[in-house]
Amino acid sequence: MKKPIKFFIITVTLVLVGYNSVYFESLDVKNTAKNAGVFNSVEFVDQFMGAKLPNLPATDANELIGSLELDLVGFTAENGRKMGISNDYYFVVEGTGEVQAIEDEDVILSLIGNSKNKIRIATDFIFGNTIREATAIANIGDFQNTMDFNAISVALNDKVRTTIVPSFSKEVNIKDTVYFKGGVKVNTKNPTLKNLRVIPLILNIE
Amino acid sequence: MTGQPLYFRLKSIAVLCIVICIAGCNRNNENAPKKMAVVVSTLNNPWFVVLGESAAERARELGYETTIFDSQNNTAKEAEHFENLIAAGYSAILFNPTDAEGSVSNVNRAKKAGIPTFCMDREVNSLDGPVTQIISDSFSGCVDLGQYFVRQLNKKGKYVELLGLVGDNNTWNRSKGFHSVVDHFPDLEMVAQQSADFDRSKAMEVLESVMQSHPDIDAVFCGNDAMAMGAYQALVSAGKADSVMVFGFDGAQDVMDAIKQKKIKATALQSPKFIAQTAAELADKYLQGERDMDRKMPIAVEVITQDNIGEFEAYGSEN
Repeated sequence: MKKPIKFFIITVTLVLVGYNSVYFESLDVKNTAKNAGVFNSVEFVDQFMGAKLPNLPATDANELIGSLELDLVGFTAENGRKMGISNDYYFVVEGTGEVQAIEDEDVILSLIGNSKNKIRIATDFIFGNTIREATAIANIGDFQNTMDFNAISVALNDKVRTTIVPSFSKEVNIKDTVYFKGGVKVNTKNPTLKNLRVIPLILNIE
Repeated sequence: MTGQPLYFRLKSIAVLCIVICIAGCNRNNENAPKKMAVVVSTLNNPWFVVLGESAAERARELGYETTIFDSQNNTAKEAEHFENLIAAGYSAILFNPTDAEGSVSNVNRAKKAGIPTFCMDREVNSLDGPVTQIISDSFSGCVDLGQYFVRQLNKKGKYVELLGLVGDNNTWNRSKGFHSVVDHFPDLEMVAQQSADFDRSKAMEVLESVMQSHPDIDAVFCGNDAMAMGAYQALVSAGKADSVMVFGFDGAQDVMDAIKQKKIKATALQSPKFIAQTAAELADKYLQGERDMDRKMPIAVEVITQDNIGEFEAYGSEN
């Protein structure tokens, strides 16, 4: 083979091998590919808050308290949502009440329709699984890793803490009338029906 | 030509004898008690001893022969146990995994061999491998414990966190539950976060070392009670047992006693007896044909403090 042809073939081969060995990709594209398939709890919660929250069925707060006072164990077993083996039952509850007191961690409402019934609206110490379990946003059996499942609670509580509570806490005053919808936990072993604490999902000062 | 029918007749008789022998053997096996294996991550921690023994005891009550295998917190050892118990023809495995990811292959191998696995206390990262996973709700327990921690420290102070085995999901569920609370209080500063592998001696060594660079801590949050006892020992040696609060997780006997004596502030009580008994009963139901089981079954835990300690006993029994 003639020398120039040999040189040409070697050069083409080297260029082809070199071109296919090295490639450039933006860091954003690389990170997106890396995170594909990784559960995104924030996105999951955003979808829920946007699409499902407005039409979420809820029990009237006065009805809930009345039913719990009549038959705590029977009512919770039949109507509450429970995770695994536990004495904690969860409900989505809604109602309207008049502001009686504003405390460091809660705003206390006296419910319209039955002023003896009081509800605490959480404005601080918003932790745990109350909203996740009450709303049935997710089922533990669908998650390979429980940490992903628990991350939903963290994202939900963050959402409440950052988007629902601040404006309410800033504007609320004694005697205001407030519509609320949120999650509530009822422990059948140590029930505190006089102090049901709602983690709010919707708060409107009327 | 005349010998051929005799040859075939003898051959048929021989085959028939073999079939009868095999059938006889199978009948004997059916009459023999079924066996349930209990594979525990470690027997070097009293909580897991109670877990393993309670599972074995309940399985025996249900009519099974049982053997407890100790994986010594080693996935290789655990794999060896699975190989042996598959070969030995166990009917079911009550399993406390060593590693959420690393133990999946063992569960799958058992499943392939037709042996159902029931996870206890710790989960594996698989929805298809085990029949069900009976796990403590560590995250919620540590959310409650975290709130108690914050209130006890009046929302300010320096603390150390001792983590368990880094490959175990319980380690991270506990840590994340705790941090989902305490991280919202800017005056609470975590000065060190280190793993002590759920081990009492390691916890003592780790905290001794941390206190050399951070002598002014106010609290230690531990991922289990064994580490809480190790941390407490380190504080006693340093003369700080009265000024530093210790928090554990498990509800082990020594920590429950220490809470009564006001040496340790709080723990989260998870019942190894209840978890183990539930696993054995579900395994028995499964072997009898029941198939309607939740893939994961979390069990609630209770925060035990110096105020409510009188209502509870170690390892989960209520007074």
